[in-house]
Amino acid sequence: MRLEVSGQIECLAELNAGLQTEWSRLELPEEQLFPFELSLEEIFTNVVKYGQDAAEPARVIVTLTRDGDSVVMEISDSGFAFDPLLAATPDTSLDIDDRAIGGLGIHLVREMMTRVDYERRDGYNVLTMHKDLA
Amino acid sequence: METNQEKTANALILMPEGRLDFGAAAEFQAALENGVAEASGAGLAIIVDCAKLDYVSSAGLRSFLVGARTAREKNVGFHVCSLVPGVAEVFKVSGFGQIIPPLADRAAAEAAVAS
Repeated sequence: MRLEVSGQIECLAELNAGLQTEWSRLELPEEQLFPFELSLEEIFTNVVKYGQDAAEPARVIVTLTRDGDSVVMEISDSGFAFDPLLAATPDTSLDIDDRAIGGLGIHLVREMMTRVDYERRDGYNVLTMHKDLA
Repeated sequence: METNQEKTANALILMPEGRLDFGAAAEFQAALENGVAEASGAGLAIIVDCAKLDYVSSAGLRSFLVGARTAREKNVGFHVCSLVPGVAEVFKVSGFGQIIPPLADRAAAEAAVAS
């Protein structure tokens, strides 16, 4: 699968629909789709957010492949060089009044995937997520 | 996403249905805030019954956090129950489960507000 959309929030639904279609086509277990939907939303909304000051929206390319007992999703965007894995991990032990409203998305991705890697490649931020099928 | 409501003697029950993603978060937050205002006026607690909530992202969690804070400010009890496995995992890994401890089911939530 290779989905390509513009980094605009309206494209989230299209991306998610594409992911679901591909998930079924690869005959992957339905109950394991959740972390991929979540990661796609979190990373895509980050790209949209960080691209707000750019002259034009980033291109976002998503691929999904099965690799034996794991699934690999790669999300590339042509936005400003940005490694989301360098973001500080939020303190998830804080109380209701002290919890920051932001910073949770990438934390969820890291926790729910088996492995996440970042590289800057040919003008694209490339985030590769691996998850072992249970 | 739709959020239906029910009332019992002690609680206003909100039942979100579907996907609580970035696009649905603002609407859900408004539903929670309106619910808290209504519950506060009627001396009720809030129960968010998530049995039909299939999906939540960090944007959706923020709505829960804002709802829980609003409830606390108004001295309204705020409980969530019946999380499906994916939603339960998001609550757990985000630490939200410590802020708003999820209850197993509607019966447990109603028991919590009965006292």
